[in-house]
Amino acid sequence: MSGHVLVDQLAKTYVTRQRRGLFKSETKEVPALRGVSLEIKTGELFGLLGPNGAGKTTLIKCLTTLLLPTSGRAVINGFELTKDDNAIRATTGCMLMGERGLYWKLTARENLVFFGALYHLSPRDRRKRAEDLIEQLDLGEIADRALESYSSGQRMKVAFAKALINDAPLLILDEPTNTLDVPSARELRAVVRQLNDQGKTVIYTTHIMSEAETLCDRVAIVDHGQVLAIGTVPELKASLKREAVLRIEGVISSRASQAVAALGGVTRTAVQAVNGHTELTVMSANATILLPRLIETLTEHQAVIQKIAPEEVTLEDVFIARTGRTLAEDTRAVPQS
Amino acid sequence: MPRPPRAGRPTFGQTLSAALAETQLRLINITRYPGQMIMEVVIPIVFAAMPMFLGRAAGGDQAAVNFEANTGTANYVAYMLIGSSVFTIVSGAFWHVAYWIRFEQETGTLEAVYLSPTSTFTLASGVALYSVIRGLVTALIAYGLGCLIFQVNPLTGDLWLALLFILSGLVPLYGMALIFGAVVLRVKESSAIVNLMQWVVSFLMGMYFPVATLPPFLRAIAFLFPPTWMTNGVRSALLGVGYFFDAWYLDLSVLWVFMLFAPLFGFWVFNRVERSVQRNEGIGQF
Repeated sequence: MSGHVLVDQLAKTYVTRQRRGLFKSETKEVPALRGVSLEIKTGELFGLLGPNGAGKTTLIKCLTTLLLPTSGRAVINGFELTKDDNAIRATTGCMLMGERGLYWKLTARENLVFFGALYHLSPRDRRKRAEDLIEQLDLGEIADRALESYSSGQRMKVAFAKALINDAPLLILDEPTNTLDVPSARELRAVVRQLNDQGKTVIYTTHIMSEAETLCDRVAIVDHGQVLAIGTVPELKASLKREAVLRIEGVISSRASQAVAALGGVTRTAVQAVNGHTELTVMSANATILLPRLIETLTEHQAVIQKIAPEEVTLEDVFIARTGRTLAEDTRAVPQS
Repeated sequence: MPRPPRAGRPTFGQTLSAALAETQLRLINITRYPGQMIMEVVIPIVFAAMPMFLGRAAGGDQAAVNFEANTGTANYVAYMLIGSSVFTIVSGAFWHVAYWIRFEQETGTLEAVYLSPTSTFTLASGVALYSVIRGLVTALIAYGLGCLIFQVNPLTGDLWLALLFILSGLVPLYGMALIFGAVVLRVKESSAIVNLMQWVVSFLMGMYFPVATLPPFLRAIAFLFPPTWMTNGVRSALLGVGYFFDAWYLDLSVLWVFMLFAPLFGFWVFNRVERSVQRNEGIGQF
């Protein structure tokens, strides 16, 4: 079935070599995927959200046939992984390595025509398709210059165009807005949405909360090689509805944060540095009862509170609740739509 | 809109078109390094000149006579030029296949092409065709230029037979090159491997001397290398140094036997390594 992805207990373990001095080494098994199961329906815009090293890219590489899974199975566009790999490749458009997957001595047009040939388009069709993509992504002015003279963002656009060259029913995009400036990122997201509206299934990996929140129909939160939560953004937020979120900004020492985490009624905390001060996120079953004790505890530990406010649950809160960590350091650098 | 691909089962025409696109890509790429092309023509002439002058220094006026006694031709200039020109083709095959894999691993394009439904066989065929074009053009220009510089006639003997020996040797040569490609894919290093191997092969193929002068053990190994038969075939066709089996068609049939199994063996090795790499770190890992 075109655009449909079914993943069942997919696991991947890397065998790595641990160095022990100059000549000694020993092998070690590192599980990167631990029995991932999920289903992506035709026409869905599906987000894979997780920090670096969570297993997103390993999952994507398995689904795109670059890596053989250790166990489990997957059916992509109706084709069985490891059995019909060529058919999976023919019916999938991928943007995995960003600007790295292009020939920098060649022009954008030459790159697109070349990849069109690898996807078995006729010479006329590949030239036409390249021309259409150049126009669609506004690459006309630079299309006949060698890629080495492009900015990083321009090369990302060409890489995105390359993913579209075979007009596949399934698009797999691995952090496609990396290195793009704000307007270009917005423009690319708009094109992704437009392609999805036209019926293409999109798997979109990102470590940017806002991107997943605004763009994706459903999101899977991945960490340590496992899917921790899966659902629409409102569903994921609703899963935390009984927990209140308090955000405290100021000068807060780690001892103060630990003292807050130890308070009764606090279910989880996360700390991050934001613009030179600390932001402490506290989740609790009952914020009203907790609040006076929380302020008292922070004051006792010489914390300077600049702002304290209850907030609506965001996807980031869901992520913190599921993983005990924050992605904000990465998220902050991201262009917002 | 383009026609959708037939789910990973391309027609022969589509496969051929993909292989030619790979060749074209590499030819376009090399035209953007014009200096390199000039250097490639000069190198075989320099390689041939060194033993030539050494021979003149050692043999003096008797150099040609001594050379003829041991090789079957007094034309040591053309002998050396043929050796270095065939070596250019052989060395190019190793370099181009190994460099294709290593360079694309490093730049990330190897993963990009592996994401497409074009098979490794098709991609490697495209790279091999590019390498053949580049190697043949370079070798022919170098040979012609070298003959001009050292004032010998390049148009002696049976040119068509010489060309037939070269063309027959190319297919098994790229089969061998694929095995080296597999090694590069596995160990993720190209320069040291190719540097070592090209000199071992140049030695065994008799770049500067007849393989008959090698010790029996090395001679036996030398006969297992298609370039040995290519080089001697070209020299015999052009200079009359003598075929290994005394008849051109017998020597040529040895190359055809190589042609039957060397590419198959090369692809078998390459596919096994490729699968093993996919099982662990992945194709693009460097």
